[in-house]
Amino acid sequence: MDRSNPVTKILRGLALLAIGLFFLFPLFWVALMSFQTNEQILRIPPSIVFEPTLSNYWALISGRLVSTAGVLEIKFMGNLWNSVFLSTTSVALALILGVPAAYAFARFRFRLSEDIAFTLLSFRFAPPLLVLLPLSLYFQDIGLTDTYVGLIWVYQLIALPLILWIVRGYFEDISPDIEHAYRIDGHSWWKTFTKIALPLARPGIAAAALLSFIFCWNNFIFALILASAGKQPVTVGALAFVTASGIQYGQIAAAVILSILPTLLLALYAQRYLVEGLSLGAVKG
Amino acid sequence: MAATTATQPTASPRKSRLGPALLPYLLSLPALLVCIGIIIPFFTAVWYSLQRYNLNLPYLRGFVWFQQYIDLFSDPSFWHTVQVSLLYTALTVILELLLGLGIALLLRRPSTLHNIMSIALLLPLMVAPAIASLMWKLMTHPDFGILSWLIQQVGITNFRWAAAPSSALFTVLLVDIWVYTPFMMILLLAGLRGLPKQPFEAAELDGVPASFVFFRITLPMLTPYIITAALFRMLDSIQQFDIIYAMTQGGPGDTLMVFQVMAYLDFFQNFNVGRSAAVLMVLWAIAYLLSNVFIKHWLRLRERARGAA
Amino acid sequence: MTTKQKDTIDRFLKGGMSRREMIERLGRMGIGAAAGAYILNQGMTEALAQEFNWKAHEGKTINLLLNKHPYADAMIANLENFKSLTGMNVTYDVFPEDVYFDKVAAALSSRSSQYDAFMTGAYQVWQYGPAGWVEDLNEYIQDSDQTAPNYAWDDMLEGIRKSTAWSGVPGAELGGEDSKQWALPWGFELNSISYNRRIFDQLKVEPAKDLPELVELAKKITDSDAGVYGIGVRGSRSWATIHPGYLSAFANYGAKDLTVQDGMLKAAMNSPEAKEMTALWVKMIQESGPKNWATYTWYQVGTDLGAGASAMIYDADILGYFMNGGDNKEAGNLAYSAFTPKPGAEAPTPNVWIWSLAMSTFGGQKDATWYFMQWASGTDHALFGARKMDFVNPVRQSVWKDEEFRSRIAKSYPGYIEQFEASSPGSKIYFTPQPLFQTVTTDWAAALQKMVANEIPVDEGLDELAGNIDRQLKAAGLG
Repeated sequence: MDRSNPVTKILRGLALLAIGLFFLFPLFWVALMSFQTNEQILRIPPSIVFEPTLSNYWALISGRLVSTAGVLEIKFMGNLWNSVFLSTTSVALALILGVPAAYAFARFRFRLSEDIAFTLLSFRFAPPLLVLLPLSLYFQDIGLTDTYVGLIWVYQLIALPLILWIVRGYFEDISPDIEHAYRIDGHSWWKTFTKIALPLARPGIAAAALLSFIFCWNNFIFALILASAGKQPVTVGALAFVTASGIQYGQIAAAVILSILPTLLLALYAQRYLVEGLSLGAVKG
Repeated sequence: MAATTATQPTASPRKSRLGPALLPYLLSLPALLVCIGIIIPFFTAVWYSLQRYNLNLPYLRGFVWFQQYIDLFSDPSFWHTVQVSLLYTALTVILELLLGLGIALLLRRPSTLHNIMSIALLLPLMVAPAIASLMWKLMTHPDFGILSWLIQQVGITNFRWAAAPSSALFTVLLVDIWVYTPFMMILLLAGLRGLPKQPFEAAELDGVPASFVFFRITLPMLTPYIITAALFRMLDSIQQFDIIYAMTQGGPGDTLMVFQVMAYLDFFQNFNVGRSAAVLMVLWAIAYLLSNVFIKHWLRLRERARGAA
Repeated sequence: MTTKQKDTIDRFLKGGMSRREMIERLGRMGIGAAAGAYILNQGMTEALAQEFNWKAHEGKTINLLLNKHPYADAMIANLENFKSLTGMNVTYDVFPEDVYFDKVAAALSSRSSQYDAFMTGAYQVWQYGPAGWVEDLNEYIQDSDQTAPNYAWDDMLEGIRKSTAWSGVPGAELGGEDSKQWALPWGFELNSISYNRRIFDQLKVEPAKDLPELVELAKKITDSDAGVYGIGVRGSRSWATIHPGYLSAFANYGAKDLTVQDGMLKAAMNSPEAKEMTALWVKMIQESGPKNWATYTWYQVGTDLGAGASAMIYDADILGYFMNGGDNKEAGNLAYSAFTPKPGAEAPTPNVWIWSLAMSTFGGQKDATWYFMQWASGTDHALFGARKMDFVNPVRQSVWKDEEFRSRIAKSYPGYIEQFEASSPGSKIYFTPQPLFQTVTTDWAAALQKMVANEIPVDEGLDELAGNIDRQLKAAGLG
């Protein structure tokens, strides 16, 4: 379509530019804010000219905010670590549980299969608020309140349905013929799954994992309700800069930038799989 | 949750040959068990929704059957919430779908620039909506906000963003679109790049017009991906809370009083556990019905694709 | 500390020496004023210890749920003193203010034994009390075995003390008959005018005397070429929009939120006085409030004043206090003025917000928890916080008489003490205590938003609101 005339080419370029501006300008602005003091951010009118400071990042990383009111402790790096730990382990567990199940739904026709699949997806419908109060009561009884294990379990509500549906679609688009051939050669089912099916589906798995990682990362309410201050993720941690004596916009901006980094690194690492991986049928094409 | 998917088990023979009969159950059971553990609270919540249950009015507590639902259904403000939530869901899903599809089409051909852009455009998705909303609130501040300043430069001086009933929906939609379009984009881009090449090559050889290619070849082939992406967006969108609550708390007035904000206020502010649970059950039922439609469609398309293959 | 130093401090504590004299003597011993204050704190700690067995719960650990707030910061800064006084350990969970009350509700509604005591607002205990989540503290305060003789409960400002006590009967007077002390007042804020003196001087205007004048003044400032808007008030769809300036002016006009008849509650926010005052309020916001008023919370109101976007605010006095420090652009330019909204009314009637300490019903070591609570709300810590940290406004009269505190405030916050002293006598909670407080005030805020957006006229809006509230009161068996 774009092999066509230069007018279309220019239009496409303009469209891409507009899209880039709309989606990236706010983040660019936040990035600028992260190098400014609160006083510079709160100027009328807003200005792009400023003397950059690293104080916001320094406060977050060193965990100490020196202000006129004294030295305040900041737990942001702890929050960041919690987010990394919770998201990683939750996605890992979701993969261990979800990929075999996705394979089962894609490869086998069995009684109730669609019902089970739909049930698993339906966990995505339950509004978190609906289950949180009863959940916190039950967690109290079984000793899971304020534990990472409890949180990782609840995070499956976010990660598992997404992984299941994307990976299932991917498996369905890979022809089962190679697996058949391998099985006929006398290999066990398990070997077929691990040696043939999994490597073929790797891009799909990587992409689904990245997306569910992002959704776990952005979750807010589960840890807030179910865990103590020491186990809160960055989403809650960043709000600590909204205080009665003022909003520290510079530090929130720096917190946003720092909290994007791990996900961005993961996305870059998974980049070659990402597009290919979500494209379900890429392999067969 | 049974009897949801009406697809007949037309056992395709090549499907069942890979393992013993119990295997698929063994494979899907762990996932199911882990989730079942979490579904117990769900039934507790159903139980709550059948009671008059105010944490701070303990003397009122009692089983009332469906009275809570009857009260809701006879409350005009609840119908307003249903309306707003559905409108919000429809607008976000449709707009993000169109925009996401447009971007995916632009980035369709793999090139370095396109690949970099596809990752860069994921960035908004990586900022938690609750925090992103804080930033948008600052950017739309009439004095310090860069966006307010920008629109002033083009002569719009009295725009009140999330603070005016006429523009609140627009503002919140803007943030939602900013955060979630990348999700649509990446799923659809993947779908587009994965489509088999032959039909397009054939169409090109025959000199078929681009619009015909798009509507008769691209779009139908892309539909399963569109359904998956729209399904997940729909589920999140009808449960939208973070952005709306952070930007407007459901206001101004009741302009943006969607399900989750209503249930949140009922629970955390009014301590009315019973009503909150009933509101959320209605939300759950709507999400359930809508997903059912989506998934039936999805399965039918998959079946057809397989039949054609 | 040497014996000599100790004697000096002891004599001061017993009242045998003035503060100045003590500081001079300590100075001669080579101890500066700041270090003196710290030692003094220690000295007081020891003085307390002599008359009361502070070590009764040695070795125990209590856990607190705290809001990220200057009051909590002040407590944490002084915590070592408590630990050495009692031999107890204190751990704490601090949550951001934005989500703090959600966390409290979640922890208490699940009957978690995790937290022994927590920070709360006085309004919130109207829900926590009837829900059975917090302890009545009267039995501790009255028990001389559990409470140090110099705790001086009566030293707490009366209006504030009473505002945290309630019988639990909907509509019953705060601090009235059979009241339970649901919480201990910790620090509080009353609502008055904080203004930017730089802007006022530039425009040659003076703070307004009453609400009609305020409406005019705000308009004058907005229309001037100062490039700022006249007055900042909160407007988000939340209970927090009602309780500051709005309710203070509302009460001054003689209006009531609810009335009680034969034990039944009835909405009264559509009385003629209420309509008169609300009409002025709505006009003020439309003409000279912040453009994005309907999204404004504490934070935006404060930020705008501190950054010079607004000329004044009608909100918590300590919000104006906070904005006069820190890295705010207008720090040092702010001034304070008590405010009597109704023309001809005698004195201000500021509604108050009281950060308080409450004891969880579900905690496992209540006596030990009480030791912490009485220390944290005691004179000793109040003085430390008021002199050295931003533990302002103090709830104890004795702290307001403390010279060091007064001179610190007078120096950095000119006019603040005068504002406080004019406002304080009439300041208390002007809401009717009842369990649906949050529902009533949130709906009220939504109604104000509709009026400001011109979706409904003021009198109709208030009538509709009152009808709506009456329905909800009936459904809850309260009206």
